[in-house]
Amino acid sequence: MSALGRPKARVQLAAVFRKEVRQTARDPRMMFMLVVAPLLQTLIFGFAVDFTTDHVPTLVLDRDGTDVSRLQARRLLADGTLQGVLSATGPAEVDRDLDTGAAAAAVILPRRLAADLAAGRTAEVQVVIDGTNPNQSTVAGAAASQYFGQVAEQMARDRLGAAGREPPAQLELVPRISYNPEVKSPPYMIPGIAALLLLVVTTVVTAMGLAREREMGTLEQVMVTPIRPTVLLFGKIAPYVVIGFVDVMLLVTAGTWVFGVPIRGPLPVLVVGTLLYLLTTLGVGLLVSTISRTQQQSFLAGFLFIMPAVLLSGVMTPVRSMPEWLQAVTWINPVRHYAEVMRSCLLRGAGFGDLATPLLALAGIGGAVFLAAALRFRTRLG
Amino acid sequence: MAEALDAGRLRRSLIRVGAMAAKETLHVLRDPRTLYLALVMPVVMLFLFGYGVSFDVDHLPLAIADLDRSEASRALVRTVTGAGELVSVGPADPAEADRLFRRGGAVAVLVVPRDYGQKVARRERVELQLLADGSDVMVVNQVLAKAEALVRAETQRLAGLEPARADPPLQVKIWTRYNPAGRSALFLVPGLAAYILALTAVLLTALTVAGEWERGSMEQLFASPVSRLEIVLGKLAPYLVIGMLELLLVVAFGAAVFDVPVRGSLSLFLLVGFFFLVGMLGQGLLISVVTRNQLVATQAGTLSSLLPSLLLSGMVVPIENMPWPLQLLSRVIPARYLVHALRGILLKGNGLSVLWPDLLAVILFAVLVLFVSTARFQRRLA
Repeated sequence: MSALGRPKARVQLAAVFRKEVRQTARDPRMMFMLVVAPLLQTLIFGFAVDFTTDHVPTLVLDRDGTDVSRLQARRLLADGTLQGVLSATGPAEVDRDLDTGAAAAAVILPRRLAADLAAGRTAEVQVVIDGTNPNQSTVAGAAASQYFGQVAEQMARDRLGAAGREPPAQLELVPRISYNPEVKSPPYMIPGIAALLLLVVTTVVTAMGLAREREMGTLEQVMVTPIRPTVLLFGKIAPYVVIGFVDVMLLVTAGTWVFGVPIRGPLPVLVVGTLLYLLTTLGVGLLVSTISRTQQQSFLAGFLFIMPAVLLSGVMTPVRSMPEWLQAVTWINPVRHYAEVMRSCLLRGAGFGDLATPLLALAGIGGAVFLAAALRFRTRLG
Repeated sequence: MAEALDAGRLRRSLIRVGAMAAKETLHVLRDPRTLYLALVMPVVMLFLFGYGVSFDVDHLPLAIADLDRSEASRALVRTVTGAGELVSVGPADPAEADRLFRRGGAVAVLVVPRDYGQKVARRERVELQLLADGSDVMVVNQVLAKAEALVRAETQRLAGLEPARADPPLQVKIWTRYNPAGRSALFLVPGLAAYILALTAVLLTALTVAGEWERGSMEQLFASPVSRLEIVLGKLAPYLVIGMLELLLVVAFGAAVFDVPVRGSLSLFLLVGFFFLVGMLGQGLLISVVTRNQLVATQAGTLSSLLPSLLLSGMVVPIENMPWPLQLLSRVIPARYLVHALRGILLKGNGLSVLWPDLLAVILFAVLVLFVSTARFQRRLA
């Protein structure tokens, strides 16, 4: 680091920086993949990933065929969680439509439903669900049992009332949801996606860029010039730090404009968090480039890091859903901490005090990775 | 006579394809790190998906603001936190909820009103407030569903104390097929196969062919007496083998470690996988011919195959939930058909009678993309 303080080193750094910027900016396809592609991906992600499961395609087999059964079917489908797409005339059709995937749930209203209800006998409604997608089957099952549970409760109350007895107390849960009252997916997904794309762009580009120089032998050519390895290293990664910041600003802006993501927290938190995060992602890119010989390998090795880091980050699925030993492993995952910083700052308005733990963790991971990468890079070249 | 001539030409052509394939295999084997990475990746991802990715969250931290502190309110808290789905993290002040959420101390606060005990005794309606942190969409949906069910259980418990409780007027029976335990692994493994094939097939081909352009060795190949089509076939053959190996690895590990069933025909599975793979290799070829640069090819591959097969294939997010333009777009994504077919074969035991449209779709895609890419490949040089 002391080398950077000397005037000669500064001139060298500026020269390497200029060369990298020119080389990157000269190829419009490069700029496209660094700036436009992440933006495009954010838009696709934002529109495609919607975790509010509804519109479960539902088949209704009404074996009663009375006004009462038709009314129950209509009310069940009214809120849109279960969406009536088909009606069947026999059990064979239920099997067939679940097999082909034309329906993901089937509601079977029994024969004599109306008669049983009127006579006070217990009527049994059957719901058959395609469990392939556990998320969807849970929602479908919950929607059906909630609707029929309420109907049953209301009827029981009415019967007690009719019998002249007092019904029991009724508890009602009134949810008040803060930060994201309509429980929309994009405000939750976009900050996480920013973490993910930043990782993909900076890590893969650094790793492949350096592997390419090694393949072509240009890295060795630079080594015979008086430029020091440390200076070369910093000059090479500096442009990507700038691009990383541009990407974050673009993504956050697109998030606010297109998807209504709020910005509630102080911006310096985002800046510090992003800087610490870039230290890690660029460090990993460097590290990968030092252990692989070709671009193909550095791409694969980069992905071997990216995949676990993304899956165990809480961006796609909650960290809390993992087994405890895996939750412990996620502590060394920079993506998890950065996603936490982004989400908490943007949505909950958290400041430095609230986010001290993830920020410190990011600093620790970033420092360690970058140091290891820089040392390896120097020995490889020196 | 003419037939014999044709047969001879075909044989010579096959020998040339074989030579190309042998050369490409040597490339891969000379530096086996690529092969290791390509074969380790599916296993790592399978373990990650199997253990790390689940949508179901238990032990959600819930803070309790019991303003009543009566016998009845304590009973309510016991019911709500007793099942282990929501875990009490201790008493809280409702005014402090925001701070608690920002630090991630709790995901919700249950507020029991001051007059809870009295109202229950008087058999009135009581409103319970649930303050929830909406920034994590998946968690908040589950908190709401779980709290709702637990409060309903308490209502029923209160009603159960009534001596004259009549039989329930209506009962729901829910049957879940194919994946009754609701395990995420069964849902994700077929999707994972599509994802891994898209990743390795498209990107490895794109990178290896683009690498030949970069190094200028492609021109040398053209100067040899090998035709364009033979070059293409020879270059793709080793990757076809790697891809099929990966597909088998995923299913074998899925069955061995996560008990993913193979209910349908294995040969249909291999057939669909094979044509999907050919299509993906063709897509990789097309990308490399268009970009001729490994870095740009990576990005083009990520945008055109990796992201769509992750997001638009129904692998994680149900297609029915997407806005209609994306639903339309998903119809031209081959991964969509592969995911549907693999789920049908593995989980539902579907045969060709149900899955022929999927098979047709992947064949169509393979033929189309191979045709376009070889045409483009030839024009590029003429």
